[in-house]
Amino acid sequence: MFLALKEMKHEKLHYGLIVAMIVLISYLMFFLMGMMLGLQNENDAAVKEWGTETVFLNKNSNDSLGQSLITKDQLPSTDRDHTALVGQTPAVIKSKGASKESIQFIGLDDKQFISREKIKLTSGHRARNSHEVVVDEGLKKYGYQLGDKVTLNSGKTKYKIVGFVNDAKYSVASIVYGDLPTWRELRGLNSQAVASGVFSDKDLNKKDYPKLQHYTAEQFINKLPGYSAQNNTFAFMIGFLMVISLIVIAVFLYILTMQKISHYAVMRAQGIPARHLVLATITQSIMLMVGGVLGGLVLTLVTKLAIPMSVPVVMNWPLVVLMAAGLIILGMVGALLPVRMIVKIDPVKALN
Amino acid sequence: MAMMELRNINKYYGEGISRVHVLKDVNFTAEAGVMNLIIGPSGSGKSTFLTIAGGLQTPTEGEVLIDGVDIRQMSPKKKDKLRLEKIGFILQSYSLLPYLNVAEQFKLVDKIKKTGNLSADQLDQLMQELKIKQLLKQYPGELSGGQNQRVAIARALYTNPQIVLADEPTAALDSDLVKVVGKLFQDLAKKENKAVIVVTHDLRLCDFADNIYELTDGKLTLKDDISQAIV
Repeated sequence: MFLALKEMKHEKLHYGLIVAMIVLISYLMFFLMGMMLGLQNENDAAVKEWGTETVFLNKNSNDSLGQSLITKDQLPSTDRDHTALVGQTPAVIKSKGASKESIQFIGLDDKQFISREKIKLTSGHRARNSHEVVVDEGLKKYGYQLGDKVTLNSGKTKYKIVGFVNDAKYSVASIVYGDLPTWRELRGLNSQAVASGVFSDKDLNKKDYPKLQHYTAEQFINKLPGYSAQNNTFAFMIGFLMVISLIVIAVFLYILTMQKISHYAVMRAQGIPARHLVLATITQSIMLMVGGVLGGLVLTLVTKLAIPMSVPVVMNWPLVVLMAAGLIILGMVGALLPVRMIVKIDPVKALN
Repeated sequence: MAMMELRNINKYYGEGISRVHVLKDVNFTAEAGVMNLIIGPSGSGKSTFLTIAGGLQTPTEGEVLIDGVDIRQMSPKKKDKLRLEKIGFILQSYSLLPYLNVAEQFKLVDKIKKTGNLSADQLDQLMQELKIKQLLKQYPGELSGGQNQRVAIARALYTNPQIVLADEPTAALDSDLVKVVGKLFQDLAKKENKAVIVVTHDLRLCDFADNIYELTDGKLTLKDDISQAIV
């Protein structure tokens, strides 16, 4: 610790540059992770908010809620507890004094568990009739307010906004919650169509809905359009950055160790154990990584505060801590190369 | 009492046609209380002699005994401990860390060897003798060659070693400071009963030595008359 600290204090520029590099790498990693989670949230926030464990869609829906249509004859004769019919369709919301926005309309049965238990209002009240809707908080920034009368698509029917709800996002759009008859009307369906899908917060079996296709929540979310491709892209970027950070720290420490090899040789000649020098190098790499990761975190937080709301960034702190720990461990792995050099130093060189 | 003994030491470097015989049947004894000076021209094997004596490398043939124990069979860890506790190495290349100031060079020793080092008073006295007391806050890069060398001497003696091995310790010093260092080595031998071995070109140190050896072409001979030495 003594050697590590003294050297870093004396060689501020050298070590400052290394820390700056790690700050930038960790900043990019944290921010990419924040954006990945933010985009995930834009896709699946509502599905997660409903506590979804199981989803059933039409067998010919090609795994898409939007393409799925469930008819009365495909459902068992009795309703199950903890299941809810969900009718989904994309639509455009309009209102005087607010901009026209693309939304996802979700039609629910108000007696079923999603409507009863899972819609957590931030203001207003639940819809009491077919002409009332509850909408995502995100629509506020486009000018929508409680009491506004809105229209959906080119329909003439007016719907009153009676409540706002947080995290009501599906497929990167805000949700407007209404009832199933409205959903049918928006899609131009007759009363034979009951919903787009059946959602449950229980782990249901395929046999519970034998005429429908069974999905776990994870399978359903991964099949959302573009979801897996987007996540894999981010995961690859983060992975590559981790590898780059490993190489950066290993190369920098290697070069610094090369420059110090004559000093180490002298110390070894004077009987200073290699263990002491190895510990100093590992301590240095840990301090560099901790400093860099903390700097990256601060920059990420500042950026999150400064960027516009339209850029979705979600920080998952346990994941951030895990990633930071991973970076620090990578720094220690990066120190193994110079450590190997130190262990192999021939003190005789000190005298030549 | 013999603190260090080198018996029938031979050292070869290289193999086959490029094999070089650097030390030839070298026998040497360093007694406590005696200052030994080993002089010789460049390439005569002085550094090899010193590194073998200090356990930094093993001879091809022969025995190296420190306090009667053959160090050739010692593990690297034990050799480290031996060098740290019993041997004070004063190296030709300045052995100071550039990122520690003079006071911290000693603090580093305290971190590694926690007992048996010079007391604060003893260190103070040593630094006064070497005329470097005023340099405690300076970094090696801010010191002259001679100051660096004297700090390196103080650093090597700080562990209070029984054996002092010095490689060209006066190379960067003027005549007045050579006298100071020569007297210091002499006192270490006489007053503190240490075995002092100095390898050098510098004949100005001859006045302070008890035994003067000459190392020429790998052969070590005790000289009675220094005027015969070829340096």
